[in-house]
Amino acid sequence: MTTQTGSTVTRMQTTRAGGQMIADYWDNIFTARERGKHVVWYNGSALNPIFQAAGLEWCHGEAFSARLAAQHLEGPAQLAGAEYGYINELCSYSRTHLGCAVLSNGGGPAPGSETGVVDALDQQELASKLPKPDFFVNAYSGCSTGQQWDEMTYRVFGRSIPIFNVSIPFLWGNRPDSTYMAGQEWDEATDYVVGQLRELVTFIEAQTGRPFDWDALSESMSYIRRASELRLEGMALCERKPTPATYWDWVASIAHINFLPGDQALVDYFASVRDEIQARVDAGVPALENERYRLYFDGIMNWNKLGWLAKRFAEYDAAVIAGRYTHSSFWQEPQLIDPEDPLRGMAQHYLLCPINHSLKTLNYLTLRDCERFEIDGLVFHSTRTCRAFTNPQTMLASTAREHLGIPAMFFEGDVADASFYKDDILESRLVAMLESIDVRRAKAGV
Amino acid sequence: MALRTMGVDLGSTTAKAVVVDEAGGIVAHRVVQMGAVSRRGVAAAIDAVLDDAGLERGDLGQVIATGYGRRLVPDVDRTFTEITCHARGVAAMCPGAALVIDIGGQDSKAIRVDEVGLVDDFAMNDRCASGTGRFFEVLARALECRLDDLDDLALAGGQDLEVSSMCATFAETEIISLLAEGEEPTDIAASVHRAVSARTLGLVSRVGRAAPVVMTGGVARSRAAVHFLAESLRAPVIVPAEPQISGAYGAALLGLESLQGETRVIGQAVDREHVHTGQQPNGRDCSTCSLGRAKYQPIDVELWTASIAADRRP
Repeated sequence: MTTQTGSTVTRMQTTRAGGQMIADYWDNIFTARERGKHVVWYNGSALNPIFQAAGLEWCHGEAFSARLAAQHLEGPAQLAGAEYGYINELCSYSRTHLGCAVLSNGGGPAPGSETGVVDALDQQELASKLPKPDFFVNAYSGCSTGQQWDEMTYRVFGRSIPIFNVSIPFLWGNRPDSTYMAGQEWDEATDYVVGQLRELVTFIEAQTGRPFDWDALSESMSYIRRASELRLEGMALCERKPTPATYWDWVASIAHINFLPGDQALVDYFASVRDEIQARVDAGVPALENERYRLYFDGIMNWNKLGWLAKRFAEYDAAVIAGRYTHSSFWQEPQLIDPEDPLRGMAQHYLLCPINHSLKTLNYLTLRDCERFEIDGLVFHSTRTCRAFTNPQTMLASTAREHLGIPAMFFEGDVADASFYKDDILESRLVAMLESIDVRRAKAGV
Repeated sequence: MALRTMGVDLGSTTAKAVVVDEAGGIVAHRVVQMGAVSRRGVAAAIDAVLDDAGLERGDLGQVIATGYGRRLVPDVDRTFTEITCHARGVAAMCPGAALVIDIGGQDSKAIRVDEVGLVDDFAMNDRCASGTGRFFEVLARALECRLDDLDDLALAGGQDLEVSSMCATFAETEIISLLAEGEEPTDIAASVHRAVSARTLGLVSRVGRAAPVVMTGGVARSRAAVHFLAESLRAPVIVPAEPQISGAYGAALLGLESLQGETRVIGQAVDREHVHTGQQPNGRDCSTCSLGRAKYQPIDVELWTASIAADRRP
């Protein structure tokens, strides 16, 4: 039955070590000014290969908010954001990052002004860490808040810093020939985004005063393509029962694939991830000691609770194996990347953001991965301040129930605000779903 | 001594305890109102039900705990979620029930149940207390009346004032504003009940409508709540004689079935064995099975036994 048997997650050594790569990346950002580098703040799509080729230092706002939340350091930034006027119903990624902007700017639109709610130590700590941007680039797909986020930051800095906006159209998928990554809409949207990326390059050249290095972009994208292939090979190994790695391992590798530099170190990292998983397969080492349930996780991560959730699910022998955030995101279709013509594959991945699809495509992706990984149940993280991700969730649950006969559970929480989450609610619903999985198995005579 | 088991349901505002006999019949039951998840409340409920049944704790074959505070219940053999227990209890109280709507003090849930009381699907309210018993307490306080008086008030109301169903705290402010504007308490009470029904309908939509509908939980004791829910569902709503004890009753039955060897998982294993062997492993004939119906295909009992053996939790 569904009571705990006390499995623990055997965490991957590679992803544990990978944390240092992320720490080094941020430490590098924090010293950008000292090294005379241009700094760009951006949100949404993984534009970092363009920034890398242009010789910039890049700060992904969501990523920094997630990092603060994972370290339980988000509070002061959110307080500063709230004092400025960004209430807690606003996306917690954005208000954390906007709070950082407020702190970086000295507490308000007037440089040097002070915030009244964040103490001096916290203000100094955060403000000194994230360097002010030289310009902003926004390229957010599928989320209306995201599309306005950098413009809000632009206003926090007194409208004095240049901003460039890339518009990513939503993929409605409602034309007769529309399918996943095919059809007239797909082709037209790709062309539209590619055109804007060319304009972005021109904008960056104007900001840096240097010609753009197209060879560097091709090189970076070739590394990213290889890293992505290795990542997918590792994911494919998790089709095995019991799984050799879990969703939580892939969450631990999001930063690497999403915004770390495209270079040999990135390829080496994902080669190590793949190799460690393969070694587990060869040695018969499962991710959980006693895998009894295979689950799919839909929702952006609840970063405040990452470690806790991983342990909690394991205690019930529930292996969370795949998810929309990990498996339908982040250079997940490497065959689209042509290093000789990098912008097209990049544009297509920006369109493939998992909140940029119609329900038809999301149904396809969810059912595809549930079947592929032989999923027993779905866990929906109903993210309080991310409606873009939560909007289709009840419909996806219905689809899974109707087409695959598998149950779902919902729990409330948030990406970077722990106040919306409660352990007991998650646990009750998890156990109830596992009980209903038992029932289904018993009915099926499994 | 004859076999007896006990189920204990520790909810957010009440503790319920039920003792059943070896045929699954209720020997004694108690509902104790002791405030939020209370150890004193659960002790009082257990002591009272044992006293009513003329039993000592050591006389019980199994004690199963359920509910929000199930881990606070001392000396239990195991726990189940309230979802599973309510489904099981309602299947025994109201055979044939297809949809269970349980509204307690701080939460509400909709459970789709199959023909033998197994959970097909469920949905629960979010963290907000809106649409729960707490909502009615807020209403009574704002109207300055007793909770028991709300039924007559609400059933006399006509006009729909469209009270928000989104937040119990805001609803209180809304109610006070409506009173200040001179609206009738009867209309306000009726409107709050409609708001709760609307909230409940949202849960039902997530699991799908089904009939017969059975309502349980403390709110099921309210005539007005049942009336407005039936109106909202456009379907009759059945209320068991003791709607608050269905979870504890289900827990007691699950304990009983595990002792009788009927069940590996919520009773269905015995159903397979009935089909497969024509009798229960303990030698009893099927008429003593508290589920009573055998509809499933045989299962691999060894697999289930191994599964249970792996379960090290007390």
